[in-house]
Amino acid sequence: MIRLFAWFTASLGALLCLYPFLWMFLSSFKTNREIYEPTLLFPQSYEWGAFASLLNGEYLAFFQSFGNSLVLSGGQAFLATMVSAGAGFALAKFRFRWAGVFFFLALMLIIFPKQSLAVSMFEWLGILGWQGSLWSLMLPGAVTGLGVVFFLQLFRNLPDEWLEIARIEGLSAWRTFQLLVPLAFPGLVTFFLLHFVLSWQEHLLPLLALDEESMTLPLALTKLRDASFRIPEAVSMAAATLSILPVALMFAVCFRLMKSALREVTHS
Amino acid sequence: MAKGNSIGDAFSLVLLLGPFLGLWLLFWLVPLLLGVDLSLQNSAWHSEAVHENQYANASKYVGSSNFQRVAEDPKFYKAVRNSTYYVVGTVLLILPLAFALALSLRGMNRLPRGIFVFCLMVPGLAMPGVLSTLFYLFFHGRTGALNHYLIIPLGLKPINWMMDPHFILPSMILQSIWRWTGMVTLFFLCGMESVPRWQLEAARLEGAGTWLKIRSIWIPSIRNLGLFAGVFLAVDGFASFSGAYVLLGGSGGILDSGLLFVTYVYQVAFPGGGGRFDFPAAAAMSLMVAPALALLLFLTLRLRKFLSWE
Repeated sequence: MIRLFAWFTASLGALLCLYPFLWMFLSSFKTNREIYEPTLLFPQSYEWGAFASLLNGEYLAFFQSFGNSLVLSGGQAFLATMVSAGAGFALAKFRFRWAGVFFFLALMLIIFPKQSLAVSMFEWLGILGWQGSLWSLMLPGAVTGLGVVFFLQLFRNLPDEWLEIARIEGLSAWRTFQLLVPLAFPGLVTFFLLHFVLSWQEHLLPLLALDEESMTLPLALTKLRDASFRIPEAVSMAAATLSILPVALMFAVCFRLMKSALREVTHS
Repeated sequence: MAKGNSIGDAFSLVLLLGPFLGLWLLFWLVPLLLGVDLSLQNSAWHSEAVHENQYANASKYVGSSNFQRVAEDPKFYKAVRNSTYYVVGTVLLILPLAFALALSLRGMNRLPRGIFVFCLMVPGLAMPGVLSTLFYLFFHGRTGALNHYLIIPLGLKPINWMMDPHFILPSMILQSIWRWTGMVTLFFLCGMESVPRWQLEAARLEGAGTWLKIRSIWIPSIRNLGLFAGVFLAVDGFASFSGAYVLLGGSGGILDSGLLFVTYVYQVAFPGGGGRFDFPAAAAMSLMVAPALALLLFLTLRLRKFLSWE
């Protein structure tokens, strides 16, 4: 009885989460009139017109904003993983003065995120003269409190004996980190993916800081839906479908790795 | 486990922690201080008027007048109230829902469980803007899925989700639930797997019922994780922008009933049309929610035990 109920709940949840996206994909073949009938799932005819006009850049340079997003999110995620892994390792395994302060800094980053500082961040990027280019957001996105906490939790589980051996061998803390960090590969990949998704979805800072040329996907999608351009809904549905594909693919490939890493991180 | 017990050499520690500290100073502390500075400035200085020399003899710093201006702005309170409802609604609904889902999924075999969790996570991978678009086209509207599959079969009148001021905020909460529940479920599932087998065995031998097991094993196993997820969701909810921005086109919706805090800050700082760019007021607003954040900080600090790092 309980098992049946569990299956029912899970299936209902999965249906609620998947069906709208299926509808979204199929809607990229529909006419506006068909799309405004949400209970209709299948289009009358399958034509790739919406995808074609989107990819040909009829409305905006879709490939470019797709590439921009990939570069920005990939870069941010890579840098954030490196920076946070180092800090997390130091906090988890070494005893030094001010360690508590560093932990506190990371917590401050979590509870006062950069979105809430957006206006002054905009001002600051202007002072630095970085406004407009994609690179301006790369470094601000590389510092994350969640990352430090994540890696602190992850490296906590590394056996202390290994550090002991490294110490006896006379290795510096930095060298020890270099040797031990490949062991945390699942954790590194997991955090990379989590940060990638968060930065892939980031809307406010790119909206403020980026110019037309370095537009990222969320901005492009908003533009496609802008009523004043009268772009067919099917095009924005096609763009939305394409915007989910890379992230979903990455998560699907690394899902098992992710679960094993998360088990270690959530282990209390 | 205690916190680290090796002594690191200073040079290595600088290498390990330096990048983090540097970026923290540059892209968190400096913007924060700039925000404080901005909030004390005369907003006229930031508009075009400066160049017309009209305010040449007005002082650049105006003390707390921006804060007073914000404190008298009824829209600011509306935005904060809406954001608070939004945050409380999402956190209070997502956590139990994710817990129930994790419990249901826990008993399954590996393969179906993995597939279900992945399906649940799909909305979390999509951009909030895409979710808003789907909400707008698929769920809302007279003939939308919510009305068609839920409200009408219950014998109620179809709800105009986007236009009725009572339902804009709930529909935004629904959207947030849809987005985050899968992710939180995954974390809860992983937390539940760290329960040692002997505990379950003992519970089985004692003949513990389902409720007792939930109360004495499963809730403790995810308590700290739940607190952490709650803090994260609260912060994310308060800082959320994209979903509401796309759903309502940057406005606050009918009667501003969907006006969220960050949306309003954005509206004040970058008004469309001929409005004045009022950066100082926007910065003052961002700083005025600090007491709420102090509360969150208090909650987070209680997590130190969970992080086993005291």
